Amino acid sequence: MGKVARELVQRSGVDVDQLVELLVKNAAAELTTYYYYTILRCNLIGLEGEGIKEIAEVARIEDRNHFEALVPRIYELGGKLPEDMKVFHDTSACPPAKLPKNPKDIKAMLTVLVEAERCAERGYTHICNLTAGKDHRTYDLSLAILNEEIEHESWFSEFLGEAPSGHFMRRGETSPFVSKFLK
Amino acid sequence: MMKKFTKEELARYNGKNGAPAYIAYEGKVYDVSNSFLWRNGSHQVLHKAGTDLTDAIKQAPHSIDVLKKFQVVGTMQG
Repeated sequence: MGKVARELVQRSGVDVDQLVELLVKNAAAELTTYYYYTILRCNLIGLEGEGIKEIAEVARIEDRNHFEALVPRIYELGGKLPEDMKVFHDTSACPPAKLPKNPKDIKAMLTVLVEAERCAERGYTHICNLTAGKDHRTYDLSLAILNEEIEHESWFSEFLGEAPSGHFMRRGETSPFVSKFLK
Repeated sequence: MMKKFTKEELARYNGKNGAPAYIAYEGKVYDVSNSFLWRNGSHQVLHKAGTDLTDAIKQAPHSIDVLKKFQVVGTMQG
């Protein structure tokens, strides 16, 4: 734990225990999403599935990176991950991104993917709102993750035909915003 | 006729120990018991079932449209 790191956040008016609980719940959402997206990706078959497989994979890896980036901050603030992984799974801030009944229904698959990203966006926006101007490190981290979740949502939304994303999928690099927190 | 809730009555529906989870918004009481995001009567750590969230929702990172999917089970008195 960073004794002074925690104290500074507490003194800025943030309830550190509540913040840590939020970070743990969002870390659980990231790791469970990584797991469920693995299943989704494996089931993106056929010509239609192939079209979104790579982009689903990028989102999957970046969500895993989000988990990796969150863990140190949880411990810096005096928190910890649950010792029981089943408990950790069930504490997730977002519903599990489970395989739809018909995995060949690409629209259903995309809907699962886009809703998972939307839940994450709201979660990190909430953390940014709580920490802005108060806990600079958690704000910086949450903002970085939020940037990537927004991009994930926009990709899946575009594939659903809702609206243009405004950008192309990544080539070569992953986690352009969060990578600075990964060591 | 919709049930009328006092603040004290609403507080009993806190989603804990088997109690349903109700929240109030602008005078209406919503049943959020079946929502994944309201497990154990808690939402985003900070918000608790059994309370009036009219002010809190205005600062939420989502619109009030999210309430449309929940059943209205009553109104607040007063």
